[in-house]
Amino acid sequence: MFTNNQIALENLPRIENLELLGIASKYKTILVVNRIVGFVGFLIIFLILDTFVVDESFPVTVFWTITVAWCLVFVLSLVFADLSFKSRQYGLRDKDITYSKGVLVHSVTTLPFNRIQHVEISRTFLARKFGLATLHLYSAGQNGSDLSIKGLPFEVAQSLKTFLTNKLNEQS
Amino acid sequence: MSSPNFSIPTRQSAKGIIVLFGFQLYKLVKQQMAIIFVSLYLFIRKADSEKIVWLGLGLLLLLLLVLIISILKYRNFKFHIINDYFVLQQGVLKKEETAISKSKIQNVYIKQNLLQQIIDVVSLSVESAGDKKTEIEIKALDKPTAQALKTLLISNNTQESNNKESQETLEVLREDKTFYQVSMKRLFLEGISENHLKSLVFIFAFFFGLYGNFKDALGDVKLADLEASYFQYSEKSQMMQFVIFNFAIITVLLLVAFAFSLVKTVLINFDLKVTENNKGLEISKGLLNKVSLGLVTSRIQTITLSTNRFKKALGLYQMFFTQAMVDAKQLKNFSIIGLSKSESKNLIEKFYANILEGITKHKPEVYFKRIKALQVLVLIMGVNGLIVFNSSYLYFLWNIPLIVFAVLVVRQSYKKAYYSIDENYIVIGSGGLIEVNTDMAELHKLQGVQFKQNIFQKYRGIASVKIYTASKALTIPFIKENDAKTIVDFLLFKVESEDRHWM
Repeated sequence: MFTNNQIALENLPRIENLELLGIASKYKTILVVNRIVGFVGFLIIFLILDTFVVDESFPVTVFWTITVAWCLVFVLSLVFADLSFKSRQYGLRDKDITYSKGVLVHSVTTLPFNRIQHVEISRTFLARKFGLATLHLYSAGQNGSDLSIKGLPFEVAQSLKTFLTNKLNEQS
Repeated sequence: MSSPNFSIPTRQSAKGIIVLFGFQLYKLVKQQMAIIFVSLYLFIRKADSEKIVWLGLGLLLLLLLVLIISILKYRNFKFHIINDYFVLQQGVLKKEETAISKSKIQNVYIKQNLLQQIIDVVSLSVESAGDKKTEIEIKALDKPTAQALKTLLISNNTQESNNKESQETLEVLREDKTFYQVSMKRLFLEGISENHLKSLVFIFAFFFGLYGNFKDALGDVKLADLEASYFQYSEKSQMMQFVIFNFAIITVLLLVAFAFSLVKTVLINFDLKVTENNKGLEISKGLLNKVSLGLVTSRIQTITLSTNRFKKALGLYQMFFTQAMVDAKQLKNFSIIGLSKSESKNLIEKFYANILEGITKHKPEVYFKRIKALQVLVLIMGVNGLIVFNSSYLYFLWNIPLIVFAVLVVRQSYKKAYYSIDENYIVIGSGGLIEVNTDMAELHKLQGVQFKQNIFQKYRGIASVKIYTASKALTIPFIKENDAKTIVDFLLFKVESEDRHWM
């Protein structure tokens, strides 16, 4: 029989009550390493330019201003790396998966299982060294509705993939 | 009807050579436009009769080469249908064979550009599930053959391929009736009431793009000179003259934009016709480039109804559809213009039953105005930034119209913003100074939901909700955090409890 009862909004299951899990703490190291690489890379290029390309008319004060500013940016980016790590959380319910991220702009994205098209695991060089992996969830939606959960322990990513793949197969 | 036999590999119509030649030449000219112009320019500057002969010979050789390539392409291009597979063989040096299962075919478009219209052939392109872009195009078929092939290809429900049934489907599909047809008068009115500012921006972008391309070729004509003369003029003259001068410039620009939007609207939408068949609607339109597109009810993801101040006064509405799995280039063609209010209502009802009854408009928070104001402020500051570097401070007068514009934009966009969610549909209203848009989607078509909040919004307890469908994302901007959370919960509940398919 077809029923179409009114839904009491206060009785809806609330995403808010879902307890989100953090990602592997080793991922923080990756975030920091990435930033160090960026920082040092820029510094090296800058020093090379200063020694070989720029002539003596280039004021020393400008050199130091750029260097100090860049160091400040670096420290700030480390603080952000820490905050960004804490904001990356995920959680599963019976019928959907949720991932939250972002410091300045915080977003909580939820994909219902019955809208996921396929699941994929990828591992960068660093992630392999740390035993981590990224879980990609693809829906048919526009850019932005696809979820990528970075920094999961490889085993967790694999079991999540198996779990989700089974869910997908159940549906079709 | 003596239906063509598609079971053996067939070449396209022999006229295809001409079409292929045209396409090939067009591609060559388009890709090498800058080089061609530059070399022509350099050549003409110091041309003598001997060189002209050589140039002619060179061009002739080039054309011959293109012709040979076209003939080879034509010879190697064959298609047929076998065992419910549409098979295509092509390629001159690199042979390719593509086979698509008929059940995977999503849509078949029939198009006709100017050249194809002259020699009376059509092009047929096939779009299949999973492909982001159309790969398969048969560039020259005569009309009846194309129609027959199209009917065969989209009658995929008859996979048993028993003859009787497919015959039946053919009959049903042929009983199309005209649902809507735009009159020449309404088409003109549409063109006249376009947002000409938008056209202006488009023209500017186009010319700056061209200018960048031909910078070398143009050489002597410098934009900077023009600019300098403009400034000179203003410095010498009186205030009144300055105002008149600027006014004249704006008038000319607007006239150009006006002509551009009128011509564009008429060319694209000429003889716009919407016919109905058992799978949905079929839109056909165009003067230089005729297209015919299928609108499949089950694949429609969002519908946008839009109008503007002038159009509304004239009773003109436009509808724009997004469909899942449609090539991006094709997607922008799915629009119907020149609808009256009642016609647009009928059409919406056809896809979304009772959607207009359940609307209760909820407004975004006043925070919305602040963000809009900030956005416009950036624009104003940019303009003033440019002025500061100029010698004449008379330009600051530009701020008067700009600020009036800003205030109006902020007020109007807040006034036009609302959202409505009921059991089945979500409706989001938006607009600016001139436009009014209404986005509509069915709840079960959503692919994912996102709750979004920046740190300033968190402080004020405000958030946005982004709803992803398979072809467009809808945003409910700046509402109370709690409302946003409830909406997310409700949407997820609807999708997960009902388990209806989105396509």
